[in-house]
Amino acid sequence: MRRVAVIGVGVTKFGLHDRTSAELFAEAARDALTDAGVSAGAVQALYYGNVVGGETEHQLHTGPQAASVLGIPSVPTTRFETACASSHAAFRHAVMEIAAGVSDVILVGGAERVLNVSTAESTEYFAYASDAVWEQPLGLTFPGVFALIARAHMQKHGTTEAQMAAVAVKNHRHGALNPKAQFQKPITIEQVLKSAYVADPLKLFDCCPFSDGGAAVVLASEEVARKHRKPVWVLGSAAASDWMLLGDKRDLSRVPATERAAAAAYRQAGIGPSDVDVVELHDCFTIAEIVATEGLGLFEPGAGGRAAEKGLTGLGGEIPVNPSGGLKAKGHPIGATGAAQVAEIVTQLRGEAGPRQVDGARKGLTHTLGGNTATVLVSLFGRD
Amino acid sequence: MTEPAVTARAFFEKARGGQLTAIRCGSCGELAMPPKELCPNCHAHQWQPVALTGDGTIASFTVIRVAPRAHAADVPYAVAVVRLKEGVSVLGRIVDIPLEKLAIGLAVRFRPLIGKDLTTSVGFGPT
Repeated sequence: MRRVAVIGVGVTKFGLHDRTSAELFAEAARDALTDAGVSAGAVQALYYGNVVGGETEHQLHTGPQAASVLGIPSVPTTRFETACASSHAAFRHAVMEIAAGVSDVILVGGAERVLNVSTAESTEYFAYASDAVWEQPLGLTFPGVFALIARAHMQKHGTTEAQMAAVAVKNHRHGALNPKAQFQKPITIEQVLKSAYVADPLKLFDCCPFSDGGAAVVLASEEVARKHRKPVWVLGSAAASDWMLLGDKRDLSRVPATERAAAAAYRQAGIGPSDVDVVELHDCFTIAEIVATEGLGLFEPGAGGRAAEKGLTGLGGEIPVNPSGGLKAKGHPIGATGAAQVAEIVTQLRGEAGPRQVDGARKGLTHTLGGNTATVLVSLFGRD
Repeated sequence: MTEPAVTARAFFEKARGGQLTAIRCGSCGELAMPPKELCPNCHAHQWQPVALTGDGTIASFTVIRVAPRAHAADVPYAVAVVRLKEGVSVLGRIVDIPLEKLAIGLAVRFRPLIGKDLTTSVGFGPT
């Protein structure tokens, strides 16, 4: 298998936009190609993530549509949909295509537009990623899924609402350092704890926002990447799935797909959790960050809440998590999120993250979770 | 050709009459609900339907206050993962239990919920 590197990244500002998701992707893709120093004509395939285009934009066939809007209509294009992990799934498949020797340069990205519809509508569309026969008819929502996980984690490990709030405060502090973030304002523990319940015990400030945005990265084979100023190598990229139905998950305080994907990615890279310097992980809800830090092996099962409260995951802490602000503050345009996480880790490993730079970061990890925890992808990155 | 031991349609028809149904694997004894084609434990296709008591305890719960459009009129409402006495778990809507009384470990009993569109879904109420 050939080595694969990321040689270019681009991300739009996340938040409210008056452009289609394809336009948002195209902006990010043009920035990524410029950053990579390769022409659009060198791109041999587009792997694209988009989730609710059919619902919010009445747009299916979003892969070739995005390629057309970008101006590269003739490359083979596939749209991936694994709920919120879509562009990370796209990324993994692009890595495999280059590793296998099929292509040398692939554009990977994703975009989403949801702020053109009401919160009630987007809440409904996101719930489509739960089972339509057994769970949607009960009125289950995504905050509801993670509220069930939060309650189980609190019961088993003594995790508190204040510990979850500490995750939100930390990610907003980081987001304030990121000019592309949807929220660039610090918040306090009291603000989080006093915000209204969305799905008990999760409150509004435990939840990431609905966002519009696009992200793209350029992947290249080693031969092409060697010509680039600062290639960031893909050390491993793994996916895992789990039961769709909450009733089938034996222990709601854990996300087994995170544990399996992480184990596979660490094995591919030949490294362990203690080798990782910086992490971008899927904090769609504050409890999701706590459970992910445990599943990735950064902390023991049950220790994630206390670690967040002690500041171990903040910039300057033991293992900085979500220096970009995470989904919580940077925003979560679901089709773009996986690619945006890769863009942040590449920026960190190049040493170009400015005020949010993790000093001396050499190895990074991205973790993206799909919907009801039935999809997880984990990738590992390193610089020369 | 083998028919499924229990289809989703058959499950909800029985549920409508107050009966929860699981399936047991004739090869390894695994109990499953809802119905699946292959046993997730041994991958055999030898299911037999099993009637459940409908008694269980809350494994986790939440009170939903921001709902999808179709449920907006119901807020606040509770959903819970219920661990049934026989060992399988299922998500259900909580009915006739005050929200402040909800707790992990609380005993509940199955009851069918008939929607405005006459579909049946899984509910749990007091024992």
